[in-house]
Amino acid sequence: MALLKIAEPGGKQAQTIHHLAVGIDLGTTNSLVTASCGGSVETLPDDNGQHLLPSVVQYRDSQPPLVGQKAKAAAIADPKNTIVSVKRLLGKSLADVKNSLQYLPYDFDPARDPRAPAMLTVAGTKDPIQVSADILATLARRAEHCLKGKLEGVVITVPAYFNDAQRQQTKEAAGLAGLKVLRLLNEPTAAAVAYGLDSKEQGNVIIFDLGGGTFDVSLLSLQKGVFQVLATGGDTNLGGDDFDRMLVAWIRAQLPPAQQADLSLQGALLGVANDAKHALSNAESVTVQFGAWSGVLDNTQFATLCADLIADTIKTCRRVLRDAKLSKTDIDQIVLVGGSTRMPVIRQAVAEFFGREPLTSIDPDKVVAIGAGIQADVLVGNKSPDNYLLLDVNPLSLGIETMGELVEKIIPRNTTIPVARAQEFTTFKDGQTVMSLHVVQGERELVSDCRSLARFELRGIPPMVAGAAKIRVTFQVDADGLLSVSAEELSTGMIAEIQVKPSFGLNSGSIEQMLKSSQEHAKADMEARAIREGQLEATQLIEALANARVQDGDLLTEADAKSIDAAIGALREAMPAGSSNRIHHLTEELNRISGDFAGRRMDLHIGKALRGSSIESTAESNSTK
Amino acid sequence: MQLFKQNYFELFDIPASFHVDQELLIGRYRDLQSQWHPDRFASGSEQQKLQAVQVSSLLNQAFDTLRTPLVRAGYLLTLKQCDIERVSQQDLGMELLMEQMQLRETLEDLPVDDSALAALDALKERVNSKLQISEQAFAKHLDADAILDAKKSYHELQFLVKLLREIEIGEEQRLDY
Repeated sequence: MALLKIAEPGGKQAQTIHHLAVGIDLGTTNSLVTASCGGSVETLPDDNGQHLLPSVVQYRDSQPPLVGQKAKAAAIADPKNTIVSVKRLLGKSLADVKNSLQYLPYDFDPARDPRAPAMLTVAGTKDPIQVSADILATLARRAEHCLKGKLEGVVITVPAYFNDAQRQQTKEAAGLAGLKVLRLLNEPTAAAVAYGLDSKEQGNVIIFDLGGGTFDVSLLSLQKGVFQVLATGGDTNLGGDDFDRMLVAWIRAQLPPAQQADLSLQGALLGVANDAKHALSNAESVTVQFGAWSGVLDNTQFATLCADLIADTIKTCRRVLRDAKLSKTDIDQIVLVGGSTRMPVIRQAVAEFFGREPLTSIDPDKVVAIGAGIQADVLVGNKSPDNYLLLDVNPLSLGIETMGELVEKIIPRNTTIPVARAQEFTTFKDGQTVMSLHVVQGERELVSDCRSLARFELRGIPPMVAGAAKIRVTFQVDADGLLSVSAEELSTGMIAEIQVKPSFGLNSGSIEQMLKSSQEHAKADMEARAIREGQLEATQLIEALANARVQDGDLLTEADAKSIDAAIGALREAMPAGSSNRIHHLTEELNRISGDFAGRRMDLHIGKALRGSSIESTAESNSTK
Repeated sequence: MQLFKQNYFELFDIPASFHVDQELLIGRYRDLQSQWHPDRFASGSEQQKLQAVQVSSLLNQAFDTLRTPLVRAGYLLTLKQCDIERVSQQDLGMELLMEQMQLRETLEDLPVDDSALAALDALKERVNSKLQISEQAFAKHLDADAILDAKKSYHELQFLVKLLREIEIGEEQRLDY
């Protein structure tokens, strides 16, 4: 395919472009920038001829940050100031980051709202938006240098599974880098654009995107220049890294027993496994070596080792077909995206399941960026608008919390965007004038299983009997997949309205509102945490007392036992629903009442220890402290 | 704006009936989206962008409504000033309720492993053929302007569609999708 012919940077062809716009694939590991040069879209290189920009930023004292290869080289020597894989941090709270990611070397700024964490560096506090902005600015400068002009706009790709906060922050990063975002484009859609326009495909296309750490499948219908996403699915925790880990387990099982469980070898083993995996993409079998051990691995064995992972990817394909109400035979093309689709075991499994060979003519690492470049060219007005149209969907359901912490879905997943949906709610109590709304994103039934996007309150509802007020909540998702929510009270004609952009980042119009509400909720959150801590403390005390009574119950008078039981009863009653103060107070009370009992036990065990009693009973007295 | 005052059938310029020519609907929808989608106004003014989002959202809403038979049926009744949210036992009739209960029990009594797949298939086929009959009945009643009868067929459709969805979920669980 002629698509990947590399033009000379800044060559004559570039000057025929009237409007300069680029596509950017802002990747977890590497980023790319593309532009239309004389009819075809190509990736743009830096001064050294490098196309891939490692998505790494090193912050330095009183010097501008380093971005890319040089920063990547500094990551080991200067880990605290060198931010890698910032895409994984976008839109995440500190708790999300600590729960879902492995060890991170950064110091997070304790002064920041934990819902919008930021790293402390020698150049000051940097949040994921600023780090992403530095990468985007580097790519934009490269493009302006190559194309010899100012950029009018950019198209930035995001994973189809990116939630609202992640999209919002990507857009804000572009704004911070001084770039105008023409559109946030879902990565699989971009891949289809890259193939679809070039080969004039008609029909249904599966985009199978297996990267280093994430997996996405999308089903698109292409007809008369209209791209319509019919369904998407995926797994944010499945990628090439998992195949490496399977190989490591295989190697470990064959090592001398002393090395099998040696965790310090993990890094080296991962390297060996990764090399073997890559080698298997070009050879039927490979000799793997580690220390004194060596073994032969072929693709058939590799497929057996990774059977579960491969089966998971196929299961997602089934799911997506089902969501789109299509069968395997309805699929006309399969597009492979992401470096991990170079694995023959994956290609074979995909080909087998769909009964046809996938398309591989475009480099799977570049296909997304190329699609973004094509779309940028159209959106900025270089291509006739009648050529084609992209109709994308929202990948995750959007809803609102209702009674009993349940989610009422307002916009189900795979709804074509832009979309506006309204739902009416009513008041729960007589005279209720305030209604609080909690907007969530996800497929689960329970609020706690979905992602919380925003909370806001609708005030000034005219007091009426319960159920009389009519509150219409409207969800609007724009073409970038970004959500805004409004609510109004209808029954009396009095309208109260509020807009919420669920973002904790910079330069958002509703920042003031967010700050206000986050302060309000900070109090509630603190109390919630205090309650949980109080409950934990109380549970521990009750359990300790129960153990002590099993061991030394004879030290307890009947009257003491009764008052302890009463205090435990009161505490148990207060624990599920009470305020933190009350739980704390009752815990103290129980401590006080059981103080004499604890004292008598202490005397007994110290006495035993002094008399040189057995090790066993000393250990026992330690355990009851 | 004129577009917002039209009903969804007028919007796509197709006859307001339960039978919709899907090819025609899709064609009209895509023509209008090509004209109004926000991508057409990516470099436009803020006002143009806002209008594009609103119109494009309306087109999506209208298309989703007319594309799905059950939702389309409900919409047709709403156009006839019929309140489809209000349902009483008299609207439905004892016979219909008993039948729906029976179908539901058939589903619930199936074994929970994949030995039930053939029975699920059979039940699905049965429900699907009932669905077709109800759709035809709905169209007939609506054409005759027999709104109460049409409403009853509509509620029957609601039951059947929900049951089909549950059969599908049952299939997914047993196939471990």
